[in-house]
Amino acid sequence: MRNEQEVNRAVERYSNTIRRLCMVHLKNHADTEDIFQTVFLKYVLSSVSFENEEHEKAWFIRVTINACRDLLKSFFRSRTVPLDEILEQPALLLPDNKEVLEAVLSLPQKYRDVVYLHYYEDYTAPQISRILGKNVNTVYTLLTRSKQMLREKLGGDGLE
Amino acid sequence: MMGLNDRIKETFDKIYAEEELKEKTKKFLSQKTQEYKKDYKKRSIINYPALISAAACLLFLFLGGRWIYLTPTAEISIDINPSIELGVNRFDKVISVDSYNDDGQTLADSLNIKFINYAEAIRRIMENERITDLLSDDEIMTIAVVGSDEKRYAKMLSNIKSYTAGQRNTHCYFADSAEMAAAHEMGLSYGKYKAFLNLQALDPNITPEEIQGMTMREIRDLIASLSKDGEGGPQTENGSCPNSGGGHGNGYGRQRKRKRKNAVTPPAQTHEPNPNTNSKSNK
Repeated sequence: MRNEQEVNRAVERYSNTIRRLCMVHLKNHADTEDIFQTVFLKYVLSSVSFENEEHEKAWFIRVTINACRDLLKSFFRSRTVPLDEILEQPALLLPDNKEVLEAVLSLPQKYRDVVYLHYYEDYTAPQISRILGKNVNTVYTLLTRSKQMLREKLGGDGLE
Repeated sequence: MMGLNDRIKETFDKIYAEEELKEKTKKFLSQKTQEYKKDYKKRSIINYPALISAAACLLFLFLGGRWIYLTPTAEISIDINPSIELGVNRFDKVISVDSYNDDGQTLADSLNIKFINYAEAIRRIMENERITDLLSDDEIMTIAVVGSDEKRYAKMLSNIKSYTAGQRNTHCYFADSAEMAAAHEMGLSYGKYKAFLNLQALDPNITPEEIQGMTMREIRDLIASLSKDGEGGPQTENGSCPNSGGGHGNGYGRQRKRKRKNAVTPPAQTHEPNPNTNSKSNK
């Protein structure tokens, strides 16, 4: 079992990443709290020793995505709420930010993870394939399709 | 205008974990950690007595099993010079092979009969080259079964008899534990001890040390010569296990029986028709 110091360090370091992943997957704030508790409790009880920070971060991403998927499988969680209810501080988002977020969240589930991991966390397709346990070619396909869909929704051709 | 890539980055940058969420999570984890620690302590406290009792049970089973297996409940004393004694446990396995003289030690060392069934051990002894040589030289072998369970004796003796049936000069009999203990005190095997007692009755000056190095044939010849004072001379035993019917004996009783048999031979002749008697009765 990990000590309090280790746990606090992990909470400070990975909370934002977990929060963003929750945003991509979940539909209300209560679920986000559940995911935080599930993921960090798993970390406290886990005996995995990480080779480096990148390895640790990848572990948190994978565990969070799996926890979100498990939660979404539940019948009682499948209700949709407006974006303003998901965010605790919606006022901080500019109209353009809201537009981008709504476009990302409107993508089918399987595209959202790759969009977040590639465009925000800067992971390459092979790295994403290892984190998500998917074939590299599948990841490339998902990235190409999600790019097309986002262009359609948001216009412009700034995506690389 | 900002590219879509940057727009996505800027948007997600504005999403972060609220301090309240982090604090709640930390509080929850601290609470869970305490609970786990308490549970772990409880489990450790409960485990010690359980562990001790389990260890005690295992030790008891181990020592009990060892005691049951390694305690001899019967002994088989084999004398021909070499003299050896086999300790037999309640499962009819030979658990010890003791020798009472140098010849016996040599024989015991050459035999590999530990932890096998006593009947198989007797068979191996009877087939041992040294024993077969001695028996063919007209030496006498005595096999005594010592213990406290008469039913078991009878069975053991009957098994042993089946292996010695083909041997001349072999005698099997029962014996009791008290006599066995007395024999061991003198440093003799049981067969020799019985022979010593008989010899001592005839010659009080004889010592156990003198007996120790003698063969059973020599002892018997000596007994025969002393008891009969030359009468009849040494006798050869025929057949095996004459006293196996029960009671204590040393094989020497057989000689006596035979002598008695010889002694009653003349009256047997009286069964032949006596003309005088007949004539009297007729009268």
